[in-house]
Amino acid sequence: MRTFLRIMSAECMKIAGFRTWLLILLSPLISLPIGALSDMQEDRVITWQVLLSTMSAVHALLFLPVLSGLFAALICRNEHSDGGWKQLLALPVTRTSVYFAKYALIVALLGAVQLLFLAGVLGVGWYRGTEGGVPWGLLLNSLFGGWFACQPLAALQLAISQGWSSFGAPLALNVCFTIPNILIANSSTYGPYYPWVQPVLAMSPFGEERFGAFNLPLESLMIVVSGSLLLFLGAGLIAFWRKAV
Amino acid sequence: MKDTVIETKNLLKEYRGRAAVKNLNLNITKGEIYGFLGPNGAGKTTTIRMLLGLIKPTSGSIEIFGKELRANRMQILRKVGSLVESPSYYGHLSAWDNLEAIRRILGVPKVRIAEVLEIVSLTGEETRPVKGFSLGMKQRLGIAAALLGSPELLILDEPTNGLDPSGIQEIRSLIKRLPGEQGITVLVSSHLLSEIEQMAGTVGIIREGQMVYQDTIAHLQQQAAGHLRLALSEPETALMTAVRRGCGGELQEGRLVLPRMSDARVSLLVKELVEEGHAIYRVEEHRQSLEEFFLQVVGGGEL
Repeated sequence: MRTFLRIMSAECMKIAGFRTWLLILLSPLISLPIGALSDMQEDRVITWQVLLSTMSAVHALLFLPVLSGLFAALICRNEHSDGGWKQLLALPVTRTSVYFAKYALIVALLGAVQLLFLAGVLGVGWYRGTEGGVPWGLLLNSLFGGWFACQPLAALQLAISQGWSSFGAPLALNVCFTIPNILIANSSTYGPYYPWVQPVLAMSPFGEERFGAFNLPLESLMIVVSGSLLLFLGAGLIAFWRKAV
Repeated sequence: MKDTVIETKNLLKEYRGRAAVKNLNLNITKGEIYGFLGPNGAGKTTTIRMLLGLIKPTSGSIEIFGKELRANRMQILRKVGSLVESPSYYGHLSAWDNLEAIRRILGVPKVRIAEVLEIVSLTGEETRPVKGFSLGMKQRLGIAAALLGSPELLILDEPTNGLDPSGIQEIRSLIKRLPGEQGITVLVSSHLLSEIEQMAGTVGIIREGQMVYQDTIAHLQQQAAGHLRLALSEPETALMTAVRRGCGGELQEGRLVLPRMSDARVSLLVKELVEEGHAIYRVEEHRQSLEEFFLQVVGGGEL
């Protein structure tokens, strides 16, 4: 455990920097005008639920999957570019702890994104005088669900990024698989099993107007997410154990 | 009994059926500088990567500090500093931060960073991003990183590769200081004999994945010492005299060629030959340079 924390602290150093902060801020910032400008009918005051669903649409449908891949690629790029792997793995560390430290850092970064997004939703909500008190249950469920549903994707992207020394290729692949989200979200057959669409399924507020894969009960979705998380994390770890450096 | 730091037995690494390292028996004693010598692609880096657990051997065993590597990897690597092939660094971080990232994993006190920077003479450059460093500076940073954990064993793969002559000189004197000052055992690889000759006490020569020579530098120099050639009036009878005296020898192009021997024996033999009535025209020593010897060894010649 101490080794793990030490590696985590070293990983934080490597990733710290302007670019990382920008990436964490990007999606919450973009969601601000979306939330501020949506549903501007005069006669109706916006509800928290509508606000959350409009703001999270782009965030969860596009940014969360892309960011999961981007963070994974960034965290591995440092090691790929100038012989970092061989230096790191020749230190007294186990590969398992290195892999989990990198994974934990991606998950933590995604967590930071979600928290900033929450701040964004609250800010816009108060600015627009959204009716009713803050529905904390709804908000936290949505944020936590989105965060958790990103994790299989983060694990998958980490598995790919540790293997590919290219920085762009895993990203391009990730974006290619993210684009069809718009279609796949409508399919109740494939949607729940498609890792790239899971964040938006988990994040959308569960109102009356359910359609496509949004129809699925949250519990079933979480079971699928947990299963694929274990699968991708395990596969990535085994690949990392066997990696010749 | 000597303290063995690294011992490999029948180390084998195959890539798709082709052996990159074959039946390698490495034996490195505590406190020595061991020169690992061989042409490019002979298997030096592959061996070193196996010693650090970066790749798994196909078969064979590795013991470091008397312990089996795979079962005691963490414990062993805590006492090992390494620089493998080209220097490793995080380009966007400064030299200090590069070392700090490693320090956090090793858990050594912060003062070590300043100490190792001082050792490799990078003090004053530590705040610049490493991507702007020259190759020599990156190489020195790599050595600083290897020294950070105060290792007992230092494994340096081609540490002078790509450096200018003054950089080579600097690194060489640094490496030579280590065993004396801090009792560190050093394994240093190179494809240049002159490099190894000036640093190492023991040398292992590897060719096509196989160890073809492993002994002290002094012994290597002796082996390469060459022979004595005598030009005289009657070589055939002179040869008989030499053989009778137990000097061995043979005839080559009408000259008597004798293996290297002590000055006293040379003078005795010459005296006897003169007394037997031989006219001696020339006594010359032919020295094979170490370089020629090395090329002969790595070129496939027998020892």
